[in-house]
Amino acid sequence: MSAVTSSLSERLYQEGVSRRRFLKFCGVMAATLALPAHYGDRIARALLANPRPPLVWLEFQDCTGDTESFLRASQPGVDELLLDLLSLDYHETLMVPAGLGTEQSLMDTMQRFPGGYVCIVEGSIPTAAGGIHCMIRGRTALSLVQEVASNALATIALGSCAWDGGLAAALPNPTGAVGVRDAVPGLAPLISLPGCPANVVNLTAALTHFLTFDEWPATDSQGRPHFAYGEEIHEECERHDHYEDRRFVLEWGDEGHKQGWCLFQMGCKGPETDHNCPTARWNDATCWPVAAGHGCVGCASPNFWDRMTPFYVPLPDDDD
Amino acid sequence: MLKPPPPSDVERVFLPIIRKDQIPAPEPTVTPSPTPGVTPPPPGTSQRVAIDPITRIEGHLRLEVKVEDGYVTDAWSAGMMFRGIELILPGRDPRDAWVFAQRICGV
Repeated sequence: MSAVTSSLSERLYQEGVSRRRFLKFCGVMAATLALPAHYGDRIARALLANPRPPLVWLEFQDCTGDTESFLRASQPGVDELLLDLLSLDYHETLMVPAGLGTEQSLMDTMQRFPGGYVCIVEGSIPTAAGGIHCMIRGRTALSLVQEVASNALATIALGSCAWDGGLAAALPNPTGAVGVRDAVPGLAPLISLPGCPANVVNLTAALTHFLTFDEWPATDSQGRPHFAYGEEIHEECERHDHYEDRRFVLEWGDEGHKQGWCLFQMGCKGPETDHNCPTARWNDATCWPVAAGHGCVGCASPNFWDRMTPFYVPLPDDDD
Repeated sequence: MLKPPPPSDVERVFLPIIRKDQIPAPEPTVTPSPTPGVTPPPPGTSQRVAIDPITRIEGHLRLEVKVEDGYVTDAWSAGMMFRGIELILPGRDPRDAWVFAQRICGV
C-alpha cells in the first residue's frame, strides 16, 4: 500500500535506476502507444507526479502464462519497477498470505480504495453448472469477478481467456467458459489485452496511458486498444517482402525456411491477426514467433482456438 | 556386461515408522499460540482445517486436513479449477495438440 503514497522518483532512486534509463523507458512507452517521441517527456512527468492505483489480480481458468509474461517485464527494467509500484495487493501466485488471509488482502483493498483499484483478470470464467468449475474460498469465479470488477476503477482482461473465454471456451466448451465482458455485462471501462499470453509491454503501456492522460487508451469494438491491436501482423512482418515476392517455406527445414522466407504456406495466421507482436516482441524485445521460424497461430484473434485451427493448414490465399 | 554396484561403505539407514501412539508428547512449555478470534478445540476432539487457496503456486489448490490432538491424521487435496482440455482435444488435427496441451500450465 506504501506505493500509493511514495513517489516514483524516490523509489527509482532507491532502486538505483538512473534518470537516463527511466527516460528510455518513457520513450519505449511512447513508441508502444504510437505517440510522437516528444510525449516521452510528458509520460515521465506524469509518472513522477501521479500516485499509482492499487492492483487486484484475479486468476480463474488460466495457466498463469500471463503472470509469467508479467514477471518477465523486460529492459530497460523500469516497467517491472513501475508494476511493482502499482501496489499489487492481491495476486494468488505471488502473494504471501494463503487461505483465509487472501480474503483479508482482497477485502482490505476493496474497502480502502472503493472504486479506486485496477482489477486485472487472467483466465476465463466458467458458467456451466452454476460456475462450480472454478472455486476460490468456496466461491465461484463468477461471483468473485462480478463483485471485484464492478467496484473497480477499471478492469483489464489480460490474455485471450479473460477476453473471450480462450482455451477453455474452445469447442465444445465443456465448462461454459466466458470472458470478463460476458461474465460482467456492461462493465466499463474494460480494457482487453488478448494474446496467449498477453505481452506485458501492452499492459504497461495501457497503465502508462491512464497515468499520463487520465483516460484509458482508445479501443476497437472488441475492447482492444488501437495502439496494440490496430495493425495486422502480416503488414508489419519482417518476412512480408518474401510474401509479396511469393517466396514461401514449403516444408520445415527446407531451403526457404533456412533463408527466413514467408511462413504463409505452413499455416501462418499473421494475415488474419491484428497485434503489435512484430514490433513489441518478446524476450527483451529480441524475438517473436515468426522471427523464430514458426507461423503465427493468431492468438490475439477472437476464438482463435477454433477459428485459427488447424494451425498448420494455410489460410485461403487471396492472391491466387 | 552389467557389473554389480560397488559395495558401499555407507550403511543404509531405515527411518523407523512411528505410529501415532509412539509420538512423544509435545513439550509442556510449548503451547500453540491461539489465533485471535479462534477458540482452540478442547483436548480429545478433532478439527478440520481448510486452506483455500494455496498461494504461490500455479492453479487453484485447496488443502483440507483433519487435526486430532494437535496431529494431522488425514488430509485431502483438491484442484478447484477444471477446463476440460481432455474434452476439447478429441477430433482436432494432431499437429495442434501441443499448442493446446502446452496451455495446461504456463509456468
